Amino acid sequence: MMEFLEMGGYARYVWPSYALTFAVVILNVVWARRALARSREQARRRLAMQEEPT
Amino acid sequence: MAWTWFHRLASPPHVYRLAERLTPWFAWSSALLILAGLYGGLVLAPPDYQQGEGFRIIYVHAPSAWMSLMVYTVMAVAAAVGLIWRMKVAHAVAASCAPVGASFTLAALVTGSLWGRPMWGTYWEWDPRLTSELILLFLYLGYMGLRSATEDVQRADRASAVLAVVGVVNVPIIHYSVLWWNSLHQAPSVMKLDKPSMPLDMLVPLLLMLLGFTLYFVAILLMRLRGEVLSRERNASWVKEALSR
Repeated sequence: MMEFLEMGGYARYVWPSYALTFAVVILNVVWARRALARSREQARRRLAMQEEPT
Repeated sequence: MAWTWFHRLASPPHVYRLAERLTPWFAWSSALLILAGLYGGLVLAPPDYQQGEGFRIIYVHAPSAWMSLMVYTVMAVAAAVGLIWRMKVAHAVAASCAPVGASFTLAALVTGSLWGRPMWGTYWEWDPRLTSELILLFLYLGYMGLRSATEDVQRADRASAVLAVVGVVNVPIIHYSVLWWNSLHQAPSVMKLDKPSMPLDMLVPLLLMLLGFTLYFVAILLMRLRGEVLSRERNASWVKEALSR
């Protein structure tokens, strides 16, 4: 296990690369969900304003 | 008859429903492929005869770099379709691509830098491949900046689409930079017409990662697309139906 983590002496280059890439992978899921939720909320508000009697 | 699919793809309610239904399929299949690729790349693949274990950065660097180029190409094609056929859904696709592409371009640059340090002895060099990839990041950022600076969605769509289409010349420049100029960066080992220059136990995990990241992009794109389509709709009765779910 230790040997695996050491990556033949390249650990300080290999693991940050993996960490950064998967941080980007996860962040994109979070951002996409947030963007969709925001658009739905805005659309809901627009609908509510249209339905309000003037 | 042959064009009905095209017309349906231009219909926002149809696209919204289709995207909603397809997202989990792409998400789960990409997760499986990426996990298999990680296991193959980190555990099963043998160390490289020159770079030892350090070469394993390829399994995150190459997919990130592939995403940076593939996403830009999708964005430019969608922008062109939006400009030519005045198709709202195509503009929505283009707008959905930019943040994904920008973040993976950054990942490609940083993982490349982390790979370059032990192998080339430097984090950064003003090399044709590295410089053209950096320009790609600026193209994405310019696209996003232009969009967020333009209040009106339709004007933002058109202006940013022109930028996306013009910028697409950079894509072949990045790909061929290592062949056209002297570059520190190695020549393509998978994306070429000849057969890949890698043994199978190194290559298969890489192909799994590339396919996994591609399907992952589709899942993210579909999710973002729903939001973009909704934000372009005014007074549409289907919006109410879409929001009820």
